[in-house]
Amino acid sequence: MPTQPATANRPKQSLTVDEKVQKMRELYADAPEIGKAALENGLPTLTEALAAPSAKQTAGRIGLRQGKVSELCVFLPFVKGGAKRLRGFLELLDGNFRAADAVGTVHDMRFVFVDNDTKLLFATAYDGDFDPYIDDFATKIPNAMDLWLCNCEGYPGMRSGKAKQWIFDHQIAAEAWYVNSPNLTAAETRRLEKVGKAVEELLDKIG
Amino acid sequence: MATQTATPTKPKQDSAVEQKIQELRELFADAPEMAKTGLEHALPSLMSQAAEAQASETGSAGRIGIRQGTVSELTVIAPFAPGGAKRLRAVLKLLNGNFSGGRKVGTLHNMRFVFLDNDTRFLFATAYDGQWDPYIDDFATKIPDEMDVIFSAFEGWPGIHSPKVKDWIVEHQIPAEGWYVAHPDLSVAEAGRLKHMGKAVDEFLDKLNE
Repeated sequence: MPTQPATANRPKQSLTVDEKVQKMRELYADAPEIGKAALENGLPTLTEALAAPSAKQTAGRIGLRQGKVSELCVFLPFVKGGAKRLRGFLELLDGNFRAADAVGTVHDMRFVFVDNDTKLLFATAYDGDFDPYIDDFATKIPNAMDLWLCNCEGYPGMRSGKAKQWIFDHQIAAEAWYVNSPNLTAAETRRLEKVGKAVEELLDKIG
Repeated sequence: MATQTATPTKPKQDSAVEQKIQELRELFADAPEMAKTGLEHALPSLMSQAAEAQASETGSAGRIGIRQGTVSELTVIAPFAPGGAKRLRAVLKLLNGNFSGGRKVGTLHNMRFVFLDNDTRFLFATAYDGQWDPYIDDFATKIPDEMDVIFSAFEGWPGIHSPKVKDWIVEHQIPAEGWYVAHPDLSVAEAGRLKHMGKAVDEFLDKLNE
């Protein structure tokens, strides 16, 4: 079988659309009624999605990427008193994450306290690959990182050289990731906002 | 100190900021050494941030969740129904990143599906435009079938057309304690308009240079 190794690592792609639809029906044979009905009603649109080429990409070491935008999602256990401290800190900041602006590749990020304040869920959308993204945090805003992450168990410190591995150890890669404008980086957004403003000013002057 | 009163144009804010910094120091009094050092190093930039915080745009997304500018966050963690994890994983693999339904909603910036705790729970998190209620209504009217195909993997999902669906979501949603958006004024629609305009300007400049 000398020809098979080339295709063997991507067997899913060899499924035809009909086979995929068939597989969906099999999967949903034992689904709740709501799911079964939805599958039948939604088949036309679903078939379109199933027929499209793969839009799934990786963010390097871990995580998914779509176009230029990647996802990172970590669950970090709080140290004793960590939840209270971080909550107080976030309340004082009141939504002003100047440090994140300084990184320049962050689209959004959320801090969610889960399981009765025992864990922090941190999830972000960012540009590019995992490794340079974490490096950016380490070089551009190490203090802000330490202030925030010292509240979580086992955090080695942003300057220790071990922070990247620690984040990786706590990251759970998404099974699926959708981005509305996959080619719009944070930098390109800043450029377009400038262009938009300039065009409006120009039109005002002409008018 | 007569000259000094002229510079702090917003004395009330300054004292509020000082008070905040004091609160921060207290919060970090029993923190690890690393954190205390970090706090002292970061204080200058934190102070300017805190000053701006007076004019913060963080608000509520309506019924639940928080919003920055026009962009809101929704984070749901719920248990899988029996067999639900297996079914959903297979569906997501078949879809292979093609969420044409997501584009139809028109207010969805991004969304992720994460399987937790040995496939017993899942995390669904999105960034979207505007308020919670119209957002959920959009899902119900624009992509009801896609919603039920995916969300029927979860315990107790009442169906997108059920009058109980919003209660189910609220019950499993955990509002974020912190939410940052790099471009808080950029709605999905505005991003589309700017991309369009950027392309037109590029073409125009190309023509000028021909």
